Amino acid sequence: MKDVSFDVPEKQICGFIGPNGAGKTTLFSVITGAHKPTGGKVSLRGNDVTGMGSAALVKRGVTRTHQIVRPFRAMTVLENVQLAVHYGRRAVSRTAVAREHAMDTLKMMGLQHKANRMASQLSLGDQKRLEVARALATVPELILLDEICGGLNQSETRVMLDLILKIREQGTTIMYVEHDMKAIMSICDRITVLNFGQKLAEGKPEEIQNNEAVIEAYLGKPGSAPRA
Amino acid sequence: MTASDYLDLIIKSLLLAGIYAAMAVGMTVIYGVMKIVNLAHAGFLMLGAYFAYELFDKFHLDPILGAALALPAFFLFGMAVHWLLVRWLPSSDTPTLSSLLLMFGFWLVLQNVAYQCWGNEDYSILTPRTLSSMQFGEISVPTVSLIVFVAAVVSLIVLQIVFNKSWFGRSMRSLIQNPYASQIVGVDDQKTARLTFGLGTAFAGFAGALLAMLYSFNPDFGRPFLLRSFVIIVLGGLESVSGVALGALVLALLETFTVQVLPASYQPAISFSLLVVVLIIMPKGIAGLMQRRLKVT
Amino acid sequence: MASRTARRLSMTLPWFLFLVLLLLPLSHPSANTVRLIFTTSVWIVAGIGWNLLGGLTGQVSFGFAVFYGLGAYATAMMINAGRSPYFAFLGGMAIAVLASFLVGMPTFRLRGPYFAIATIGVGEATRVVMNNIDITGGASGYRILEKRAFNQIEHYYSAIVLMAIALVISSLIVRSKFGLALRAIKLDEDAAAALGVNPFLSKLWIHAIAAGLTGVAGGLYARYHAFIYPGDVFAFQTSIYILLIPVIGGIGTVWGPVLGGIVFGIVEEELVVHFPNIHLLLYGSILILIVLLEPDGLLGLLHRLARLFRRRSEDSGSKQADEVVWGSGGLEGREL
Repeated sequence: MKDVSFDVPEKQICGFIGPNGAGKTTLFSVITGAHKPTGGKVSLRGNDVTGMGSAALVKRGVTRTHQIVRPFRAMTVLENVQLAVHYGRRAVSRTAVAREHAMDTLKMMGLQHKANRMASQLSLGDQKRLEVARALATVPELILLDEICGGLNQSETRVMLDLILKIREQGTTIMYVEHDMKAIMSICDRITVLNFGQKLAEGKPEEIQNNEAVIEAYLGKPGSAPRA
Repeated sequence: MTASDYLDLIIKSLLLAGIYAAMAVGMTVIYGVMKIVNLAHAGFLMLGAYFAYELFDKFHLDPILGAALALPAFFLFGMAVHWLLVRWLPSSDTPTLSSLLLMFGFWLVLQNVAYQCWGNEDYSILTPRTLSSMQFGEISVPTVSLIVFVAAVVSLIVLQIVFNKSWFGRSMRSLIQNPYASQIVGVDDQKTARLTFGLGTAFAGFAGALLAMLYSFNPDFGRPFLLRSFVIIVLGGLESVSGVALGALVLALLETFTVQVLPASYQPAISFSLLVVVLIIMPKGIAGLMQRRLKVT
Repeated sequence: MASRTARRLSMTLPWFLFLVLLLLPLSHPSANTVRLIFTTSVWIVAGIGWNLLGGLTGQVSFGFAVFYGLGAYATAMMINAGRSPYFAFLGGMAIAVLASFLVGMPTFRLRGPYFAIATIGVGEATRVVMNNIDITGGASGYRILEKRAFNQIEHYYSAIVLMAIALVISSLIVRSKFGLALRAIKLDEDAAAALGVNPFLSKLWIHAIAAGLTGVAGGLYARYHAFIYPGDVFAFQTSIYILLIPVIGGIGTVWGPVLGGIVFGIVEEELVVHFPNIHLLLYGSILILIVLLEPDGLLGLLHRLARLFRRRSEDSGSKQADEVVWGSGGLEGREL
C-alpha cells in the first residue's frame, strides 16, 4: 500500500470500498497493530500509535472484527464476550460483573439465548454477530468492522446494518469495509475508495457513486472491450 | 592461527554445511508443506545410520551406496508412516499441539526399537577410507568428508530440479505458498502430503546414513541434529534449497570456529544460542516470512 | 440432575481425598507405600505446572527438566549452606522462575513452534553445562548433607501439601480471567490480542508459574533422595515424564494431571520396573494413541463414558456448563 491517507471524524461511519486485493483488510491490520507498517503513521486524536500492538490499542479504544470470523470455538458464547470485557478498555476484573456486562452486550446483539452454547455450534450469522459483540464488549471508541455482512442473507444484513447504526448512536466511531455496495452506501457518512493499495477517491456516498475513476475501477474503462 | 589454519577451518565448515543442508532439507519440506514440526526426524536420521551400518556389516556394501539405497527405502517408509499415523491429524495452517506430540511419541517408539535391536553402545562404520585424507596443496581434507559433501550436494541439486520441474515439485511449492488457493486449482493435498512426507523421510534416512560415515552413533543419535535442523530452517527460511544451504553454512561456520575456544561438549548450547540470537536480532524477518505464508486473507 | 451430582461430587471428592492422604500416616503404612505416594505427588506437581503452560495455554515444552533440575540443585545447595529446607524450596522456585524468563523472552515473541523446539535445546544445553560445572560436582552428582535426621513422614506431608497448593493455584487460574485469556491464546492468539489480551506477557507469566511449581517439585525430590546428578534431574526422560502426566490424564483440565500422575506412578512401579527396556516404546505408544484416539486423555474417556451412560438414562439438555468445568482442554486442531 502506498500514499493512502485519510481522516476519520469522530462518531461517524466511514466506509472503505474497493475491488478484491485493494488493501482494505491490510489497512485494517495496520491500524489495529496486527501488521507493522513499513512507513507512514497512524494517529489517534493526535497521538502517534503507529506500530503499537493490538492489545495496547484495545486499551486505547481501538478494536476490530475479522472478515473470516474467529470465535474461540471451544468456549461458550458468554465466555467469548466475557474475555473481551475483562481485557477491554474498561478492564473489568470481577468475574460476576464481567459476565453481566457480557450479557448486556449479547442482549444488544440478540444472542442472549445462546449465551451458554459453544461458539462452534453457532450458525454463520450468529458467529458474525458474536464477532461484533466481542469487539463491542471491549468498549471501543473506534471500531473497525471487516465485512460483517458477508455471507448473510438479506434480512440478516438488514438487522446487522441497524445494529451498526445503533453502535454509532452510542458515540462510537466506525470504520466499515463491505463488498455489498448497497449496504455501505445506505449507512456510511463518508466513503473512501481504494484500488491496488492506493486511494482512488473520498467523499459522501452520492459523490462516490458518480465519481468516474471509481466507476472505471469497478467496471473497466468505458468504451474499451471488457477483458476476458 | 595462521592464514592456512583459517582456510582449513573454512573448508571444514563448508564440508560440514553440505551434510547439514541435506539433513535439514527433509525437515524443511515437511514443515513447509504440512506445517508439521517433524520431531521424528531425529529418529529417521538415527535409523538411516543403522541402515547403512547393517548393509555394510551384512553385505559389505559401501556406506555411500547404503546411503543411496536409503533414499528409496526411507521414501517408502515415510509414506507408510504418513498413511498409518500422520494423515489422521487434523489439518492446520500452523503447527498443532497434536502434531508435535504425535511425532514426539513416534520418535520415542523408534528410539526404543533401536535400543532393542542394537543396544545402547556406540557403533561406527569403519572402511579403509575412514582415516585416509586427500592433499590439496597445503590443505589436507579427510576423504570421507569430501565424499559425504559431494553426495549431499548432488542430492540437493537433484531435489532442486524436482522442486522446479516436476508435477510433484510444483504442487509442493504451491502448497507451501498458499494452501487454500492450491486446493482450489486442484492440487491433491493428501497425495502431495504423503509424497512430501516420504521425501522428507527419505532425505532424513539419507542424511543419517551419511552422518554415520562421519560420526559414531547410538539410538539417541538424532537428537542433537534435530535442533540443528530447526535452527537451519529458521535461518534459511522455507523458500528454497539454497536458503537451507545458506542456513547450514552459517551454523557450520559457527560450530567449527567455536570449537576452537569452547569444549566440544558445549556444542548443543551453540545451536540453541544461535537460535536465540537470531530470534532476538531478526524476529521480524522470520516472523514476516512465516506470516506472509500464513495469512493472505 | 446428573450434572449437578457430578458437580457436587467434583467439589467434595478432592477434600475427601486430601483428608484421606492427611490421615494415612496414622495407619502406619509401609515405607514403600509412603515413598510411592511421595514420588507420585511430586510428579503430579510438575505435571500440573506443565499443564498450565502446555494444556491450558497450548505452549508445548519438551524441556521442563530444566526447571525440575534447577529447583533440585538450588534447593540442595541452600540446604547444604545451612538454610531451612522450606526456605530452600522457595529458593529453588525462584531460580526456576528466573530460568523461565530466559527461555520465554526470546521464544514467546513469535507465533509458531519456536518455543517448543527451543525447549529441546534448552534441556540439552543445561544438562551439558551442569555436567561440566565443578561446584556441583559436575556429572558425578551432588550430595545433600542435612543436619536433621531423615523423617519420611515429614517428606510425605510436604509433598501432599505442595500438591494441594498446586491444585488450588491451578484451579484458581483456570477459573480466573487470566485463565480465560490463556485458553483464548491457545485457541487463537491473534483474536485474543484483538480483544486486548497481551499474548506475550500472558505466556511469560504462566511459564513462570509453571516453572516455579516444577522447581519446588524438583526441590522436594532432591531433599528426599539426598543425592542428585544431571543425568537424572536434567535428563530428557524427566521432561518426557512431566509432559506425559497431563497428556495421559487430560490436557488442559485441573484434574487431568492428578489422574495422569496416578496412572503414571502405577505404570512406572508395576510395568517399567519389570520391563525396563520398553518404557520409551510404552510411553511413545501412549502418546500416539492419545493424540489419535482420545485427545482429552483419561478424563475425556471418562467423560465420554458418562455421556453415553447419561444419554441412556435420557437426559440431553445441559451438558455445556459442566463441559467448561471439566473439559476445557483437548488438543484437536488447536494452534500453538
